Amino acid sequence: FAGLADVSISEDIPVEGEITVPVGSHSPDEDYSTLDEPVRDTIMRDLKAVGKKFVHVMYPKKSSALLRDWDLWGPLVLCVSLALMLQGGSADSKDDGGPQFAEVFVIIWFGAVVITLNSKLLGGTISFFQSLCVLGYCVMPLTLAMLVCRLVLLAGSGTVSFIIRLIVVLAMFAWSTLASTAFLADSQPPNRKALVVYPIFLFYFVISWMILTFTPQ
Amino acid sequence: RHPLATFFHLFFRVSAIITYLCCDWFSNSFVACFVTILLLLSFDFWSVKNVTGRLLVGLRWWNQIDEDGKSHWVFEARRVPTKAASTEAEARIFWLGLIICPVIWTVFFFSTLFSLKLKWLALVIAGISLQTANLYGYIHCKLGGQQSISRATPSFFVTAGAPKSKYR
Repeated sequence: FAGLADVSISEDIPVEGEITVPVGSHSPDEDYSTLDEPVRDTIMRDLKAVGKKFVHVMYPKKSSALLRDWDLWGPLVLCVSLALMLQGGSADSKDDGGPQFAEVFVIIWFGAVVITLNSKLLGGTISFFQSLCVLGYCVMPLTLAMLVCRLVLLAGSGTVSFIIRLIVVLAMFAWSTLASTAFLADSQPPNRKALVVYPIFLFYFVISWMILTFTPQ
Repeated sequence: RHPLATFFHLFFRVSAIITYLCCDWFSNSFVACFVTILLLLSFDFWSVKNVTGRLLVGLRWWNQIDEDGKSHWVFEARRVPTKAASTEAEARIFWLGLIICPVIWTVFFFSTLFSLKLKWLALVIAGISLQTANLYGYIHCKLGGQQSISRATPSFFVTAGAPKSKYR
């Protein structure tokens, strides 16, 4: 723990993140503690990191945890579940919405990559995968909106259901955009913030549009 | 010495390839095959990166973001490689699996492109990226570890000492 002797933690950064060296009196040879840790530890550590990020999206406050320890598991799970919900159900026909599934996938990932490149070209300090991580995790409110929409559509698809869906999707869209902006806009120089926020707005708008215009067969 | 790790190292990769080739026999649903292969590829990526690499050959690589938001790629190699017949065999299986599978996915890429089954293209590209990323990471680890021991030891501590204790 010699390297920690002069670590200063500023007040507003929560002390959290992956701890690869187990705290406590474990073996003094800590160099191999991540090379030799049991597999179960690795799995649990990564699962906890993913869970923590989901919680951070629910309550977006400026936190370095989402930015520092990025992972793409959350975005993958969200993307797959969103794409599955968007494709309308029948699993056993040749024409089962296959292209729509791949389309959603490509839109989400390609859109996220384009936004990341845009922010990097504008001089952002955030790294490529961090940005993908944040954009991916912030799809979670929209996935929840999709779930709600599908449930509402089970009850009927008239005007009332449309209004409910519209409100839910708008709220979640705003939440997604605000959450990702809270994380991403800080990494930009101040006069470029709008240029960065606008593609994010478009990205979540397209996804919200796909959700709102979804009608089951 | 690590039969389970060796098994899993190959299991996810080979299952992904077999599922891709035989998806028409398993299920008519494009979506089910797509999701299955994607999940297999993701599990393969994670297990090769985090588990089988360090158990079979003592190498590990990851990405580290420091205080300024700069990202560093850290490549870690076990200082004193153990030389035993079983570890040689495991290492050989590890590297063979690591190299052959991306080649196979590249072949799939061209076959998908030329047969115009474009809906599979996204999946094949994902497969190539994930497997090539692991290949590249481990080659980098290996090449880094092959510097002389006296040079490698300080660099091991410098790169892997402070960042590895990933608490701030």
